[in-house]
Amino acid sequence: MKTVDEFKHYFEKELSSELDRLETPRKRILRLILITILSSLVLIAGAIYLFTLREKVPGIICGVVWIILVVVLGTIISKKINRIKLTYKEGVIRPMIGFISQDLNYHPTSFVSQQDYTKSGIFTQGVDRYKGDDLVEGKLDSTILKFSEIHSEYVTRDKDGKSQWHTIFKGIFFVADFNKDFKGKTYVLPDLAEKWFGGLGKMMQKANLARPQLIKMEDPVFEKAFVVYGSDQVEARYILSPKLMERIMELKKKAGTISMSFVNSQVNIAIKVKGNLFEPPIWSSMKKFSLIEKYFTYLVLAINIVEDLDLNTRIWTKE
Amino acid sequence: MSPTIIVAIVVGVIVLAIIGMYNGLISKKNQVDNSFATIDVMLKKRADLIPGLVNTVKGYAAHEKDLFEKVTELRNQVKQVGLNSDERVELENQITQGIGRMMWISESYPDLKANENFLNLQRNITEMEEQLSAARRAFNASVNDYNNGIEKFPTNILAGMMNFKRKPFFELPKTSREDFENTPEINL
Repeated sequence: MKTVDEFKHYFEKELSSELDRLETPRKRILRLILITILSSLVLIAGAIYLFTLREKVPGIICGVVWIILVVVLGTIISKKINRIKLTYKEGVIRPMIGFISQDLNYHPTSFVSQQDYTKSGIFTQGVDRYKGDDLVEGKLDSTILKFSEIHSEYVTRDKDGKSQWHTIFKGIFFVADFNKDFKGKTYVLPDLAEKWFGGLGKMMQKANLARPQLIKMEDPVFEKAFVVYGSDQVEARYILSPKLMERIMELKKKAGTISMSFVNSQVNIAIKVKGNLFEPPIWSSMKKFSLIEKYFTYLVLAINIVEDLDLNTRIWTKE
Repeated sequence: MSPTIIVAIVVGVIVLAIIGMYNGLISKKNQVDNSFATIDVMLKKRADLIPGLVNTVKGYAAHEKDLFEKVTELRNQVKQVGLNSDERVELENQITQGIGRMMWISESYPDLKANENFLNLQRNITEMEEQLSAARRAFNASVNDYNNGIEKFPTNILAGMMNFKRKPFFELPKTSREDFENTPEINL
């Protein structure tokens, strides 16, 4: 798999010129935003001044001009941002994925379906709004995989009937074919209850009605980091071999908060990520390497899961 | 509140606690038996794979006749009724070693390694061993749970009255290459 150093070389050689080209439209967008803000300030100040002079009609005209200006410029800016986004994804993210692996396809506007998300059973909270983009899919050796950015939310209403949106999950959602066949469901989730409440947390986990039975794993390090639920004690251990538990711990070190499920002979992994990935920067230079490096690291992290969890080893009956 | 009611409540709580502990211990004990039954099923499935494996490997490594005969005999022995669990574990451990040894021998025969039938068997046996290992871990987890139950206070008092004893873990030998090199030959 490609290293950051190799990528830096590639970045300077291949991506740099494309990013340079994107600098001009980015600066144009910034200029438009600045014009909108400045002219808004002038027009609002003008309207207030005219109202204080009791010049109602010119004041209203001033206000109307301001609204029209904001709508027109706002539309132009949002169109330009969408255009630069697409160019960025086609001209920078797509080649980046190609650089990491030739066997993967990239669909900037598609995402892992809500059906896949629900079937994984990682999150039990019902979804009211489901969004995503940047789908990467393909087959690495024997393993079919796909992942994309996903943002799932649910809504509540406050006393005044105003809706409030709450995030269930935001980050990279990864789905791949697992190397062993199984019939039941096994969930590997971050162990928050036990971390916060110790023994009492364990009792709470046992009584969790939303999940199948609690499964205590023998590996104390793994057991401390994760809570495992499964429909079958033996099958959960068949899936979570001691080696795989070690590999999951390594993945957690790299990825931070992860939740997993093993359902329908597939492995699903939700990696929590702050902020939006694979988007062009508007407020800073396109050529800022730290941002591109972050995107590269996340792409490699997701693609490497196949290797990290050793999904291509097919020594069992599943081919 | 009259003293009679208080006494009645205390007695009621104690009785409920005893019932809870008793049921808890019984389900732990049943869980152990249940997990052993799972291991038993897997061991039987594995035993069914042995004749096929012996027949395939025999054709390529005829001079390992002793090993094949030994494994076949062990398989017949475990099928007998009336073995106690220690004897059973001992025999199964020997089978594990025998199968492992056959797999190791196959490494030196490229023709055998290319045989479709053998490859299929090899996959099935790896699968079986993996499932067996999972069943053994599940069994050991339930034994651990049970042993904790009969040793921890206050369930240990009840366990003592019910004559519940500690149960041993199920340990299978490792089947790595290194182990074979260190393990003495299986002799009849």
